[in-house]
Amino acid sequence: MPDDNNGDDGSVPSGERDASPESRADGGEVTDGGHAVREELPAGDEHGHDFPSMGTVKRWLVTTNHKDVGILYTVTSLFFLVFGGLLALLFRLELTTASGSFLTGTAYNQAVTAHGLLMVFFFLSPFAFGFANYFVPLQLGAKDLAFPRLNALSYWLYLLAGGLFGLSFLQGSTFAGGWTMYAPLNLPMYLPEGVGSTTAVMAMIMFVISVTVSSVNFLTTMHRMRAEGMRIRDMPLFSMSILLTVWMMLFAFAALLAALIILASDHILGTTYFAATEGGSLLWAHLFWFFGHPEVYIVFFPALGMMAEVFQTFTGRRIVGRKWFIAAMTLVALQSFVVWMHHMFLTSINLEIKTLFMATTIGISLPFDLMVFALIYTMIKGRIRFTTPFLFAFGALLLFIVGGITGVFLGAVVLDYEFRGTYWVVAHFHYVMVGGAMAMFGALYYWYPKMTGKMYDEFLGKAHFALSFVGFNLLYFPQFVAWETPRRVYNYQPEFVTWHQLSTVGAFVFGLSFLLMFYNFYKSYHHGEDAGDAPWKYASSAEWAIPSPPSLENFPGVPSYKGGSLSFLSEEEVHGAAAADGGPAHGHATGDAHAGGHDDHASYWPLLSSVAVFVLFVGLAGTNGGGTVYTATAALGGLALLGTAAGWVVESFHVSEPELASRWPFDGVENTKLGVWIFLASDVVVFGAFVGSYIFIRVAEGWQNWHHLLPADHVVLPGLINTYLLLASSFSIVLAMVAAEKKSRAGVVAGLVTTLVLGIGFLINKGIEWSHFFHIHSEHFPEGWTFGTNVASSTFYLTTGMHGLHVTLGLLVLLWMIPRAWRGAYTSTEDGDKPLEYFGLYWHFVDIVWLFLFPLFYIL
Amino acid sequence: MSGTIATLVTVLQSDGIIPRGSRVEVFDAIYWVFLVLGALVGIVVIGYMLYNAYKYRDVGETDEDAAESKKVERPKLGELPRGGGGGRKLFLSFTLSAIIVISLIAWAYGILLYVEEGAAEEPPTEQAEALEVQVEGYQFGWRFTYPNGHTVDSAVGDSFKVPADRMVRLNVTSADVFHNFGIPGLRVKSDAIPGQYTQQWFIAEDPGTNYTARCYELCGAGHSDMTATVEVMSQEEWQNWYEGTGNETETGDDGNQSDGGDDDGHALEDVLEEPVDYGMEVHA
Repeated sequence: MPDDNNGDDGSVPSGERDASPESRADGGEVTDGGHAVREELPAGDEHGHDFPSMGTVKRWLVTTNHKDVGILYTVTSLFFLVFGGLLALLFRLELTTASGSFLTGTAYNQAVTAHGLLMVFFFLSPFAFGFANYFVPLQLGAKDLAFPRLNALSYWLYLLAGGLFGLSFLQGSTFAGGWTMYAPLNLPMYLPEGVGSTTAVMAMIMFVISVTVSSVNFLTTMHRMRAEGMRIRDMPLFSMSILLTVWMMLFAFAALLAALIILASDHILGTTYFAATEGGSLLWAHLFWFFGHPEVYIVFFPALGMMAEVFQTFTGRRIVGRKWFIAAMTLVALQSFVVWMHHMFLTSINLEIKTLFMATTIGISLPFDLMVFALIYTMIKGRIRFTTPFLFAFGALLLFIVGGITGVFLGAVVLDYEFRGTYWVVAHFHYVMVGGAMAMFGALYYWYPKMTGKMYDEFLGKAHFALSFVGFNLLYFPQFVAWETPRRVYNYQPEFVTWHQLSTVGAFVFGLSFLLMFYNFYKSYHHGEDAGDAPWKYASSAEWAIPSPPSLENFPGVPSYKGGSLSFLSEEEVHGAAAADGGPAHGHATGDAHAGGHDDHASYWPLLSSVAVFVLFVGLAGTNGGGTVYTATAALGGLALLGTAAGWVVESFHVSEPELASRWPFDGVENTKLGVWIFLASDVVVFGAFVGSYIFIRVAEGWQNWHHLLPADHVVLPGLINTYLLLASSFSIVLAMVAAEKKSRAGVVAGLVTTLVLGIGFLINKGIEWSHFFHIHSEHFPEGWTFGTNVASSTFYLTTGMHGLHVTLGLLVLLWMIPRAWRGAYTSTEDGDKPLEYFGLYWHFVDIVWLFLFPLFYIL
Repeated sequence: MSGTIATLVTVLQSDGIIPRGSRVEVFDAIYWVFLVLGALVGIVVIGYMLYNAYKYRDVGETDEDAAESKKVERPKLGELPRGGGGGRKLFLSFTLSAIIVISLIAWAYGILLYVEEGAAEEPPTEQAEALEVQVEGYQFGWRFTYPNGHTVDSAVGDSFKVPADRMVRLNVTSADVFHNFGIPGLRVKSDAIPGQYTQQWFIAEDPGTNYTARCYELCGAGHSDMTATVEVMSQEEWQNWYEGTGNETETGDDGNQSDGGDDDGHALEDVLEEPVDYGMEVHA
């Protein structure tokens, strides 16, 4: 047994070194060696990044470590829980009388809208992703996520998106059109005056960007960085649930991003998508629910995964029917994209479509039956310990059963007709969503000892469960009884007033119970008992095999499941195995062999870039109606963003890919390339949503009844020229890549410069075309043909404009790459041409999109 | 409740498995079936869950447990996750639940067909012709336009007068934002979408009854107050009123039901609150 070689890099104290050999000796089981909880380790400073200790503010501003980011996410999401919760208490108070009392109509609408948006977007998912950040790499056996700086960027974008949303309250009024933002109530002409509504929309866009960055990061990590021997299907159920969640996020949020960009464009540029009487309103409903239904599972799946983990640990049983459980989840994840119209049964969709969507909806409810039964049967022959985490998970399952049964009611279309827009829907989805949140609170108790090293107070935990469970049911069950109350009104049928008063009492009990939780965590952090590595008997996943809290680099060696269970390999073993396997993929692994490694963990750029985006978005929100201050702010933010992006790429930030890992099915691609692919996949959906919106509006308007909306000067030629320019530029970037392979520095530079020139030509041509349209004085368009002239101009400018933005971003990257190519960056080393390849992928994608846009907007 | 269950039983007996009649009857039948079955399933599943939780609670290591724990495998730290068996039982329960859900939904689908198509073909009453009314939502009120062009507007206190026992077909749209027109007492509801028309129907059975129509989609500051009174009249009364409306200028005033001495109607007018002014122009 070769000795564990980690002691010498200072990241693992000697006591830790026993774990690995021991585990190998006894057939792979990692024993609870009773390691002392360690001080935070001084990190290596070899790459010029000093990594401050956890007690300093600086640490939390610069950290890119997944565990730190996980804690940041958790704490921040709990802040938004309180924010959204206080808003809920506000309108629950209003609802203690059956007619309006202290809130005005607009104030009430703001409260319910902000409550929904904050809870769904800023609390539920980020709370789940606090755990995902912390524990997915641990469960997989990875040192960190694939792109640590992007992970920090996701967090800061999320936090500042929340800040932007908060700011909108101070700008007159935040968005007041409901969390579903139905059109055309979501437009400035129907919303309260002021910039606030637009700011809230920009906050949502910023949040979605954060989610997209995060999705790319998690998908790359989970597909490429699992410990040796851990196949996808071998992942612990929590990680499995996160994998499926993230796949859904990637596509669902892309649709939402497109919808929100269109909405922001309607607000800021004055395009007329959602104001279009023919179809604008339905277009939003389709886009929103195409996102919105998967979102239900995006929010609930992590909770389900946590429930499965907690059930297994505290019943001491492996889950019943594991592979069916996973199959059911996968099926739901796929099917979630084909059920969205069940939110629209009362719109003018026809009976055939209703039938189809009723069938898919019922179809998607069945896998959940299986999952619920699997959890229940897991208890059989168990040794159930009713600790706080188990109580929460158990309670959550119970609530989910109620939520599920009441959901079947909604699947019956005739019942849905009556339940639509009533408290039945409100009560149902709160049983599901807040039920899921209950499971996540359980998970917070479950993992608290791992994250802090301290055990929480069990009595206070149980008291919290009891109070919150009673409060929950007192809050939401009366809403079933009073279901005939319309949603989002403060003026309702007086016969229901008692039920609503009960509900309000429940809301306060539920809300106040969280004071116990916060107190418990505060007290335990300072005075709690040391938790030890594995406080829970029968816990099996890898995070329990390492100290609480884990060290910066997570593991005392390189985790491997090759022997059937977790062991930690030393460097020599890793090299032996890697050599036997024919070496790591594409030789991208570094010469740096230490598992403890010298990876960087600190960067200011994620924070600074996010601040720049924040400033940019504050400004953009006010450019239409907020005055020049806003325009100046936007310009400042834009410049800052360019600056921080440059700082980001200049910074030397070392992240090693694991030498030994399970990477199916992406063995042949390195992390960055996979990341680019995944990002482009989501971008396909964004453009798909734009093109789909154009087709939807054009069909509503009459496909052939369209040309009178276009000026006579809208001819094919400029588009055709641009098609040739882009095709040529795709060719020139290929030439640059060929030149790079031949190590021809001049060839690379020539290829890139040609691409740049062609791209600039594309933009100039487009600029001339647009400028001409803007200043047309024809009979039909005396005022020019601008963004807001009609639906045809709106769709034309926004869709091709989005593409133009992609071209512009590409050109900015080229401007960066050309001097580097001149200095030989892509030709001097073996793998130096990789960035060219990544850029080439992006550029080809942009060209392909144009090949779709050209016929749609110039020929048909 | 017992009355409703009695209704349900009657409906099921007289019309076979698929209930027919007004939307209230149809809704009650299906709602109570779902509620009773749902409650039953819920109680069984949750009961079984609680029973197991109690039965397999950890009571510390007894001799029996020690003997059993040799047979029962427990998860071990660091193992690759795997399942705990029990697949057959899982599938059995799953199949059972699938059968219940699918048959319930299939049945409910039959009712949907009746609501969407059957009712259109065979009006359940002897009244041959259905009354078609255009409903237009706006911020914040409802406009109802009868076949003769007469328009009433809820924001100026007009009530929506409908004849009893006659099918009323609604053609619903919106003048501005997304609304949803619903009369909970008559179990009818329809989205009101700008640029779109949605069709729904209902039959009111009790003359002299007033219902409240409400908006079920958030539509702005006045959403909570966007109600309209639906007044059910006997057929003659309604006919008398209706005939008096055709040739009038559409001022939207409510003085035109003065014929028939309609006590209910007048009482209603007294009860109506002052129309709320949201600064919206009411155009007839």
